[in-house]
Amino acid sequence: MSNPTNDLPQATEHRLEELEKGLFTSDLSVNEFLLIKEVGFHPVGFVMGSSIYHTGIQTRKWSQSQELTKLTEAMYNARELAMNRMEEEAAELGADGVVGVRLDVNYYEWGKDAAEFIAVGTAVKAEDGVSRLNQLGKPFTSDLSGQDFWTLRQTGYMPQGLVMGTCVYHIAHRGIGQTLGTTGQNVELPNFTQALYEARELAMTRMQDEAARLGASGIVGVRLEEKSHQWGSHTIEFLALGTAVTKTSEEMTLAKPTTIISLDN
Amino acid sequence: MTPTPSDLPEAAKRRLSQGAFTSGLSVSDFAACLEMGLEPLGLVQGFCAMQWTTFGSFGRGVTPFAGSSSGYVENYQCPHGMISSEHRMWGQNYEQTWIENSWRDGFNSAYSRMLEEAGTLGAHGVVGLIDSEGPLSDVGVVEFHLSGTAVRVLDAPAPHHVWSTYLAGQRLAKIFEAGYAPVSVVSSVASVRVLSSCITEYLMGGTGAMWSVNAETTEIEQIVSAQNESRAIARSFVRAQLHGDALHGASMTGLTREFAQGDLEIQSRLSGNRIRRFKDFDPLTAPRPTVRLS
Amino acid sequence: MSAPVPEIPLDLRAEVRRAVASLDHESRDSGSMTSDLSIDEELNLHSIGWEPVALVSGVSVFSVPVGCWNWGQGEIAVASAAQAHAFHHAITRIHTEAANVGGHGVVGVHIERLVYSTHIEVSLVGTAVRPVGAGAINGSGIFVSDLSARDFTLLMIAGWEPLGLATGASFVFAPRRSVATVLQQQSQNVELTNFTEAMYSARESAMERMQQSALAMHGTGVVEVKVVEGPMRFAGHAVGFVAVGTVVRLAKTTHQLIHPTMVVSLNDQNVAFDAQTLA
Repeated sequence: MSNPTNDLPQATEHRLEELEKGLFTSDLSVNEFLLIKEVGFHPVGFVMGSSIYHTGIQTRKWSQSQELTKLTEAMYNARELAMNRMEEEAAELGADGVVGVRLDVNYYEWGKDAAEFIAVGTAVKAEDGVSRLNQLGKPFTSDLSGQDFWTLRQTGYMPQGLVMGTCVYHIAHRGIGQTLGTTGQNVELPNFTQALYEARELAMTRMQDEAARLGASGIVGVRLEEKSHQWGSHTIEFLALGTAVTKTSEEMTLAKPTTIISLDN
Repeated sequence: MTPTPSDLPEAAKRRLSQGAFTSGLSVSDFAACLEMGLEPLGLVQGFCAMQWTTFGSFGRGVTPFAGSSSGYVENYQCPHGMISSEHRMWGQNYEQTWIENSWRDGFNSAYSRMLEEAGTLGAHGVVGLIDSEGPLSDVGVVEFHLSGTAVRVLDAPAPHHVWSTYLAGQRLAKIFEAGYAPVSVVSSVASVRVLSSCITEYLMGGTGAMWSVNAETTEIEQIVSAQNESRAIARSFVRAQLHGDALHGASMTGLTREFAQGDLEIQSRLSGNRIRRFKDFDPLTAPRPTVRLS
Repeated sequence: MSAPVPEIPLDLRAEVRRAVASLDHESRDSGSMTSDLSIDEELNLHSIGWEPVALVSGVSVFSVPVGCWNWGQGEIAVASAAQAHAFHHAITRIHTEAANVGGHGVVGVHIERLVYSTHIEVSLVGTAVRPVGAGAINGSGIFVSDLSARDFTLLMIAGWEPLGLATGASFVFAPRRSVATVLQQQSQNVELTNFTEAMYSARESAMERMQQSALAMHGTGVVEVKVVEGPMRFAGHAVGFVAVGTVVRLAKTTHQLIHPTMVVSLNDQNVAFDAQTLA
């Protein structure tokens, strides 16, 4: 079982060994648990990965909109590390994948410019013994809930991996002269439009590149998050996240919904 | 499909030319799309950053604003016959057509860019549209942002125009089942400026009783008129975009801003889905009432 | 769970293709209907033979003399009156708009109520509805209700009809305690009876006024009563009680039972009302 290349802490090894004896832990609700069983998977354990990362400083030009590549790299690598560790934990448990993955960023008082990136989720294993590892031979990851996982399986799709792309962008300040307005009219500011367009499209392209590496046929549930973290309002991280999927069966088994009127409040 | 020269940035074109689809839909909406025979092609978006000031809002002039030729204007005269620099001689409600027009420009630019992205993908329609507009980091910049999931109807030819809707998933499926086809999203903003008359100002200041003997509480006509009028204008804008089609799932919201004492802007925003009937309504059987066991 | 009623399967994909193809042809008149209902609500309405007509609204703002919030005793009559008038005028306006578009009633009315120290505002937005294709009716027969289209449907199935909105408002001053009393009560657990009494009676009079307006409509009940109460943001010693509900009356001779089916939901989120997938 022990994989010589993994870098998980000792306590983790111990916890996972216990889980291999047949006990499972999970943060799934009973509903989610039942639905995951319904599509032939069994939860094997609650897994997590973490990385505390020091994000460097990059100088920004006051009046120029540009990507801050160093910060982009930091934000990406840190999440990637946390995700990898979570995947390693899942692999240790012999899992085929992880569902309900949540990615969080924590800031602590003791670490200036340092942030903890965390990934948590529930590892699951196919009950028929057929491997569902993704194209890269790793457990698939996804931020789908138990309900969503069930629904996706009914459409004949299988998750391949939680994919993400990020872009930290500095948006130019406008000079006083510009702010006071040249024309006295509400008009488009093409430079701003372009900068924002560029930043978001970059994040999405990077996410799609990840999906392409997994040989996925698509990405569902794409979210675009915008956060300034602790950099001030002109520096924004655009983070695109979604679950890459591939079609594994032509069969659509979704039942026709019944129209009901619920009397519950 | 797109007669206008493309103004999409390079990054957008690069992304859209890639193979795999992306979709901003939730899994259940995604499943419903497949069920309907809508193939998701990609998440599409459009932006427009606008310089935004309340310019033209010159505030109170010496005499009432003459009004634009088309907009709503209503004048209120002081009934007291007092001439004093501290007493409002007149009051006025007027429609700020330039605000309405800039808003429409911003929304439409973002919307047409989104459709252009959809066109690049060979999409037939855009579902699950989300729109937002808000101030950007800098003062005086407002960004309009629209995004949605571009889809193609399986085994169907491309329509002349790309259609769009805020709806997705089961709700959209039921729209089709009920005999409607989505045409486009529609959205409008009405803006009415209120320069208070003396009476309005006293009433809004809570000192109206000074000027009338018995009325302890009275309706503030000028504000009421501005409120009802701005809602009527927003609805008339939307109706003008319907061309005989229906508006479904609308939402109307109001916003009041105060620039200075006795100087307000009352905005109404209305948006919804323009839909068209393509077959007679086939009433569904009464839904089954259920009680959840929990 | 009983098997769902067998339905003639509709080829959804073919319907979608047909719908989309129709967009390229001349538009067929959709009646210029405007509504803020969801498709579920619209389908619900149709299942009992009703349809949405148009989005309607009504706003009213009434002034309040600023001095009325200064310390006093008992009810702040002018504020209660302003609230009552603002409700009345806003309801009249949405009612008139509904009559103008040929509606027989307004459902799903969103009520936005704002109280400032100098004025009270009520704004209403809802969708006018009517039995499919029906002509305009006499204004007095038009109802305004904050019940959702779904609740309206259920109510109609059960043989009841909405008549209008009943409202009641009461603004009062919290009683004063003398410094000596405050000091005396500081270390004790005692009921502040005069407070209890003041709040109690204010709540009662708001409810009483709402009931009066329901009786005036010849209703036999008020459902979904919502009572909003609390101190004013701008004057903590003034407390407002406002009650709103929909007046109903039995339209058929007897109440019709609806016989609900019991289901177990596997959704975590509580979807209060939606057509759901029961697998």
